Amino acid sequence: MLTSNANISKWVQTIKISWSQLTAYRVNFFLQVIGPSLVFFFIKYNLWSSIYSSQSGLIIQGYNFSQMIHYHAWSLVVSLIAGGYASHNLAEDIRMGRISSYLIYPFNFWEFHTASFISFQLLQTFISMITIAFIFSIGIFHNLSFMALIYGYLFCFLVSLMWFTLQYMTGILAFWLEETWILRVILQIMAAFLSGAILPLELYPSWLVKVLDFTPFPYLSYYPIKVFSGEISPFSGAPLIIIFWIVTFALINRFIWSRGMKLYTAAGM
Amino acid sequence: MIQTNKLKKSFKSYKKKPGFLGSIQSLYKRDYITKDAVADFDLDIPEGQIVGLLGPNGAGKTTLMKMFTGIIVPTSGEINILGHRPSDREKSFRKKIALVMGQKSQLWWDIPAMDSFLLLQKYYEISKDDFDEKIEHMSELLGVKELLHIHVRKLSLGERMKMELMASLIHSPEIIFLDEPTIGLDLVAQENIRNFIKDYHRKNNCTIILTSHYMADVQELCSKIVLILNGKKAYDGDIQDFEKLLGHEKRVSFSFKNPISNDDKYFEQYTPEWAEGRMQVELLIPEEQLRSVSSKVITNYEVEDFNTEVLPIEKVMKTLILNPEILSADK
Amino acid sequence: MNNLKHYLNVYGNFVSTSFSTAMSFRFNFILLIFMDIFFYFSSLATVSFIFDHVSAIGPWNKEQLMFFISFMLCVDHLHMTLISESFWVLSRDIKTGAMDFIILKPIHSIFSCFFRHIRTSSFCNTFVVWGCLIYYGREIELDTLSWVLLPFLVLLSFTLLALLEFIISTSMFWMTEGMGINFLRMQFQNLSRWPNFIYSSMSRRFFTMVIPVLLIGSAPVHFIIDHSKWHYLIYLVIAIVLSYIVLMYIWNRALNQYESASS
Repeated sequence: MLTSNANISKWVQTIKISWSQLTAYRVNFFLQVIGPSLVFFFIKYNLWSSIYSSQSGLIIQGYNFSQMIHYHAWSLVVSLIAGGYASHNLAEDIRMGRISSYLIYPFNFWEFHTASFISFQLLQTFISMITIAFIFSIGIFHNLSFMALIYGYLFCFLVSLMWFTLQYMTGILAFWLEETWILRVILQIMAAFLSGAILPLELYPSWLVKVLDFTPFPYLSYYPIKVFSGEISPFSGAPLIIIFWIVTFALINRFIWSRGMKLYTAAGM
Repeated sequence: MIQTNKLKKSFKSYKKKPGFLGSIQSLYKRDYITKDAVADFDLDIPEGQIVGLLGPNGAGKTTLMKMFTGIIVPTSGEINILGHRPSDREKSFRKKIALVMGQKSQLWWDIPAMDSFLLLQKYYEISKDDFDEKIEHMSELLGVKELLHIHVRKLSLGERMKMELMASLIHSPEIIFLDEPTIGLDLVAQENIRNFIKDYHRKNNCTIILTSHYMADVQELCSKIVLILNGKKAYDGDIQDFEKLLGHEKRVSFSFKNPISNDDKYFEQYTPEWAEGRMQVELLIPEEQLRSVSSKVITNYEVEDFNTEVLPIEKVMKTLILNPEILSADK
Repeated sequence: MNNLKHYLNVYGNFVSTSFSTAMSFRFNFILLIFMDIFFYFSSLATVSFIFDHVSAIGPWNKEQLMFFISFMLCVDHLHMTLISESFWVLSRDIKTGAMDFIILKPIHSIFSCFFRHIRTSSFCNTFVVWGCLIYYGREIELDTLSWVLLPFLVLLSFTLLALLEFIISTSMFWMTEGMGINFLRMQFQNLSRWPNFIYSSMSRRFFTMVIPVLLIGSAPVHFIIDHSKWHYLIYLVIAIVLSYIVLMYIWNRALNQYESASS
């Protein structure tokens, strides 16, 4: 009991420290976290209004203008909570050889970075709530249901865990790679394009959508958006598939980590 | 050569309360503090000397160096170096100076030092012949000829420091600023760097401003010392005078074969500090009596070993850093 | 003239050192090529997917918009190759104080800050982006004048983009932590990746006159598609000149208050 208490306090302390690191540079924080999403939304709002203005009553693959904006507004919220985390600190720890200090601390590397992920996630949740309130206040969300919000958040937390395990993987490849940000950017470009964050997947060629269903990508944006807007029940097969991916990635990470540690201790980097 | 007048530099920073609430608070409200890193600084350094800029951590040495080189702009006051104002950052000025920082590297990490040198050759528009001769000469002197084509990240700290020195001297600067060039180096490497600097100075007749926390560097290299305490100039003069700042006494210690009896009052006049059960003593002997007292002790007692302090300025520095009021009382 | 030779000499050295650095990390070299190609592909595919369901966006049809996207890819490509690395390095240099050495060198600090690091792997993608541009140029049947002017227009657009990004990045001197600025910079770049007519009139005016990111691609492509819109080229040149003046002014301000990280 005592040890578990001590363990919890370690986690809490780490979460607190990461929190203050995240908010240390205020303008920076704002620009980094909220800026991209807002601009992205701004571009999309303008783009779709100019597309829909060409012909009144236009419906594209079942989306009228207001539904399309609705979709993108939820996509903005989802991008904040489901897939914002980036593992550059993690990669840097390995690259700079700071990993040795984790071998001495009574707190593991993965525990430390998971704690900072949780801290990041708490902050993002907070920001996403403000964002939802803001979007609601300008009248884009007309029918917010409390249950859909709860389901949406729970679903997104699960998705964010999947994103975290994936990011973690690119981070620990730093044992072998000089620069891991390139992998992360590739992952980001692919995720943005293949997850339905840029366009609703209904607009994609149907063969491509069929292929995508076998990958983790649609679960990063398309499915959470549909859960938030109440079009898909969270009690479908989707959570199971996400859990399947989380477990798969976690196992791969464990394997990569043990190989990396062998390399690390052998070379004494 | 180097002149400053009422030089001042202040920095602004803010306080952050610890913890979660503190971080939130600092998002919207910050208490700023202004601190003078350097204030009221007047200085006049003549050409061709090696001057040691001394002081404890945070005294303002590096800030001064950065103002001298034009990296940062003074809050107020004037600097005149070789007829230039450093903060104008004229090209002609930048070609006359060099800065070496023991804690920062100007070499490119992922390529051999030679590649960085070649880039510098282009920067400073040095002719190929001059460049080749300079590299040949310096790498010979520093004994790093074989290392020129090795990636910088693979070099040891001492080897890297030698490369940093070479990088800064390629364009034959008239004034060289050395900010802790020997920091973190082993004793032999320190000595190598010192010898090189000494040699280089003798041959090229340039002016060198040096900061270091190793008094051996200062003792060996500098003819003049400028001491800075809390951003203000506390001493400016010759190194010999600096050693005598606390009086004209020499510190000598003796070890004896047997303990000296408590009744023996001979040593009392020289403020003795006893150790090891009166088998060791440290005396403060007036300079002019040094010979006579020492020979007397050696002939009258069974002396096993004796020595005078190696670095007299180290003692002076320590005393002054701990009791800066000594200097102000003096003047 | 002599000065130009000096700078060219230095630049030649930048290229060769960048190349030898890149060569010591060969796997990265390959990954970077793929990264760019993924990006190009997703930009083109997005527009193509939209046009599967609509026939025009604003006044442009599919081929015209694809030509615009390809034009921006060429500008992006120059940007990625020549300057993109520098922004991240600048933020690090200011934080670690390595900026000190850049200020000390007898060469303009803007030059050594922003042109120092060249991403040599991106050279390999030159054929990809210019291939796209030429393909869609033939689709919309460009006339001879447009073909001749095309490379120069890409260069002009790149110049404006670069100047605007330099101005934005200069604020890193005040912010210390440059990550946020870099994200902001990329957002402006994102705005420029769509033609100006999609934006509502208020925002269009702001991003044309105050922060002229919308002139980067839209100005030259409007001219190419319809030569009667030649006034767009004048706007572009004016924007370049003004941005240059602003950059020089704020860069000097920035250097004067640079504090240098303490060692």
